[in-house]
Amino acid sequence: MVKFYSSTDTYSYPFPAVTLAYFLRYPNPYSTHVLSTDTIARDFDPETQRLTTIRLHLKRSKLPSAVTKLLPRSLLGASASGDTQTYILEKSVVDVKEGWMDTESRNLEWTGVLSVIERQVFRRPMPEVPDEVKLFQGMEGAARRHGFLNFGGNGAGAKVGVDLNGETTEVESSVTLHSHVGEAWRKKRLAAQEGSSSSSEEEQPQKVGFLRSWGTATLQRNIEKIGLTRTLRSQPNAREGMKVVLERMREGGLVGVLEGMRKDREAILQGRDLLKRDGTPRAGED
Amino acid sequence: MSASLAPECNEVKERYDNCFLKWYSEKFLRGTATTDECDPLFKQYEKCLSVREPISLVRPTHHHQKVLKERGIDKMVKEAREDNRENDAEHMKPVSVPSSPS
Repeated sequence: MVKFYSSTDTYSYPFPAVTLAYFLRYPNPYSTHVLSTDTIARDFDPETQRLTTIRLHLKRSKLPSAVTKLLPRSLLGASASGDTQTYILEKSVVDVKEGWMDTESRNLEWTGVLSVIERQVFRRPMPEVPDEVKLFQGMEGAARRHGFLNFGGNGAGAKVGVDLNGETTEVESSVTLHSHVGEAWRKKRLAAQEGSSSSSEEEQPQKVGFLRSWGTATLQRNIEKIGLTRTLRSQPNAREGMKVVLERMREGGLVGVLEGMRKDREAILQGRDLLKRDGTPRAGED
Repeated sequence: MSASLAPECNEVKERYDNCFLKWYSEKFLRGTATTDECDPLFKQYEKCLSVREPISLVRPTHHHQKVLKERGIDKMVKEAREDNRENDAEHMKPVSVPSSPS
């Protein structure tokens, strides 16, 4: 039982800027739930000019009450109130020559309840010209983009860089949701029936009873449905967050982005709501 | 810059992040990078993350190293590195660019 969501979008920013914004997307006003981001591995291959990065994000989240109601207390433990946090592992590969960035994020906690794998592929649009010309134009484009990525944060130059290029980046997003809830218990039960080790016998009565009343498949389907609803709600926030970062880059270059991040981080530490929009779900459940 | 999971690594993380952003925007994106110039700083940052126990605001009992080991992240990292080294990033390639109609 797997739920799947997918969408495509186009950013009005050149590909290199979008890849940079991806690395710089936390914190932003739409991601106040992201507590930390660490790079835990990075590998540059000079041969292929590909950069592989693995990062670990810690996000604060709230389990939907619909889920906490479905699950037994023994599984929820300290998170029975719904407040929890999740480690997200993100892997990305950037190929600047071929013009793509492939990213994948997955939750490391609660995977037994619901595993969420989010994939985003960013692509420089293919020019509709013969190969030899394409190569030449690619070089020229790269040269023009230099102003945009000026480390000194030359605001005016950066703006001109973007507007003159009119370059865009395509993004394909997909989210796969898969609930495994109950599967481990079922395996244990089968193992017990086959007469093999029954070391976890004391755990069984409650869980078996709980599953009997629901049926594993129904429970999984419900949890995936809830996850999908949440995904649909959080996707616009994720997109808006990227756009805020890209806008800051356009306005003030890299320095502008870093300054924005500093302010967001201060606000988060002080517990201020960066959006102050009533009735908006807390930016966060992506 | 974003915060580190381990508050006492914030400083070394920031030094590394700044180095990376400069290298990424000035060399990597222009296709002129020959080596990862920030690797020495990365090693310091990595050491901070794995050696010391951060006082985590959210979950004091889980320190970073434990997290990496427990969750099998250390293995995934190793695999990703090997993948890259073998230049076998085939599965990470974007899905089919539509071919021109025949």
